[in-house]
Amino acid sequence: MKKYKCPICGYIYDEEKEGIKFEDLPDDWKCPLCGAPKNIFKAEAIEIEINEENDKNLREMNLGEISALCSSLARGCEKQYLDEEAKLFMTLANYYNNKAQEQGDFSTIIEKINKDLNSNYKKASEIASEKKDRGALRVIGWGEKVTMILKSLIDNGIPTDKKVYVCDVCGFVYVGDEKPEICPVCKVPNFKLLEVKRGA
Amino acid sequence: MSKERAIRNLRLCSKDCLCLFVCPTGATDTETGQIDFDKCIGCGACSKACPAGAISMVPYEYPKEQPKDDEVIEKLKFIIESKVDQEQLANYIIKNSNNEGEKFLAKIISKANRLILEDLYRESGYMLPQSKKTKEFLNQLLEKDTTNNEVINKLLNLLNFND
Repeated sequence: MKKYKCPICGYIYDEEKEGIKFEDLPDDWKCPLCGAPKNIFKAEAIEIEINEENDKNLREMNLGEISALCSSLARGCEKQYLDEEAKLFMTLANYYNNKAQEQGDFSTIIEKINKDLNSNYKKASEIASEKKDRGALRVIGWGEKVTMILKSLIDNGIPTDKKVYVCDVCGFVYVGDEKPEICPVCKVPNFKLLEVKRGA
Repeated sequence: MSKERAIRNLRLCSKDCLCLFVCPTGATDTETGQIDFDKCIGCGACSKACPAGAISMVPYEYPKEQPKDDEVIEKLKFIIESKVDQEQLANYIIKNSNNEGEKFLAKIISKANRLILEDLYRESGYMLPQSKKTKEFLNQLLEKDTTNNEVINKLLNLLNFND
């Protein structure tokens, strides 16, 4: 299916909507808006493909996504010292997090991690470079590194006699008893590397 | 109303207390250590006087969110979807596994993914809680289910939207 554009007024004849191919219209057919003749219409260069990727992009956010966005906004409020707003966003984040459900095991997680490392981060990085979006390049760089750490933790396990810290800024995981001075990924001072306790 | 308010970073505060001497309204002198925002007139005197650089002036009204390219947002969205799945899978393991080691590993993965996700959203056009996009998002949530309408309406009233 193609679209044809009137070069005079910009009217677009959409074959899909109209149900009749443009070339099947009578020769004396005229632009319904400005009356321009059929033979000066031009086919639109780009056919709109509805591929899986586009479709996915347009669909609604799922419950897990809503939860993550709410907790992100909660942090934004926290940074501005808007305590009440932060709490309200967290209420929403927790509500949607409890409703979200997905079933699987570590091998399913590894599959997704591999896809992130082999494809998702690379594609995002290319576009972010092209658009000169340095903020996006930052989040991509940090996230990719943390993802690699998570993969190695799943592959190798966490030694039971070591402490574990998670960077509260970027998600970097440090396994060991003495925290590094700064987070090796985002460089924040180590008071933001928070210990995660076993059990409970 | 003043345009800014003073905020004290308690981790940096060296308790030299010059802010108490210079504050014209007594807003800096409180039992919690934080400034009394109701009393603060936003003059900035405490921030200038503080030898530790522990007091910053924060605006009530923020500039508009920086625009983001649609293609960048789209590519970040693929990562977001994958990370949400990973977080939710880890949550499932935490709930259903009987192995303490596995549960702990899953807990770490869930936490790290949530932090990655929050950061991804910040770079996907949701940096600022006061933005137009946040407002639209909250309005969409109102339509989604009514359980949290009270919470959402409070947020819509409290946040000083700028766009």
